[in-house]
Amino acid sequence: MELTKWRNNDLLDPMGEFERLQDEINRLFDWTYPSNRGLFDRSLSPAVDVIEREDEILLQCDLPGVDRDDLDLSISRNVITIKGEKKGEQEQSEDKKTYRKETWSGAFQRTISLPETVDPEKIEANMKNGVLTVKLAKREEVKPRQISVKVK
Amino acid sequence: MSAQEMKRKARFLQPLSEIRELDHKVLIRLEMPGVSKEDLNIQVENDRLRVFAGRQDKQMNGTYLLRERNRGDYEKVFTIDETIDRDSIEAVMKNGILDISLEYKKEVQPRKIEIKGT
Repeated sequence: MELTKWRNNDLLDPMGEFERLQDEINRLFDWTYPSNRGLFDRSLSPAVDVIEREDEILLQCDLPGVDRDDLDLSISRNVITIKGEKKGEQEQSEDKKTYRKETWSGAFQRTISLPETVDPEKIEANMKNGVLTVKLAKREEVKPRQISVKVK
Repeated sequence: MSAQEMKRKARFLQPLSEIRELDHKVLIRLEMPGVSKEDLNIQVENDRLRVFAGRQDKQMNGTYLLRERNRGDYEKVFTIDETIDRDSIEAVMKNGILDISLEYKKEVQPRKIEIKGT
């Protein structure tokens, strides 16, 4: 057996870890109750990540076991609503015993206000491995543009 | 649990689980969004059933405006006793949900005894 030195890649970038922590703490102070919760959202609702990139907004939502057909996605201006139903096991058997249940099932709804810069016309949704990924392009006028200046 | 074991455990996410018994089978359901069939690793070692899934989508580039999802590799260890038939273990992964079914050994399953008589 050959021994190779174990190297933790995170150690190469210790400041990156601090920056992430700082980000996290900053976000904690920015958090206000109504901003990411709609009126009809239940306390049991899927977790959502919203990531802003240079020319797009990315939304990711954990929806394990949810079928694409049971999902309803709608957007009006910059407010996006994810609606659907998570179906649990519906077995009817006398022999059934449940020992542990941490999972939940039922209807859910999530309404999220996205930055004003999104273009509601350019939206692309994809479901894979129980994760919903929605890509929203930013409006052309807010995209960073590079203007090259010719030097004479 | 030793300190080392606890430290090791803290590195992993515990997937939400559901354990049921149906028709003399034990059904384990684990919710692991973001995991594909290829990322999964299920091992049976003596009396331990270990489910491990490394995740590809841990960190995305960009600024997080909202961050609620857990990220990290999943790990869950179950202890199974000698009544479980090791060769019968089956696993199905679909839509981020892993279903594992374990069958009891033949000799511990209830047998119906026919009553003879006239």
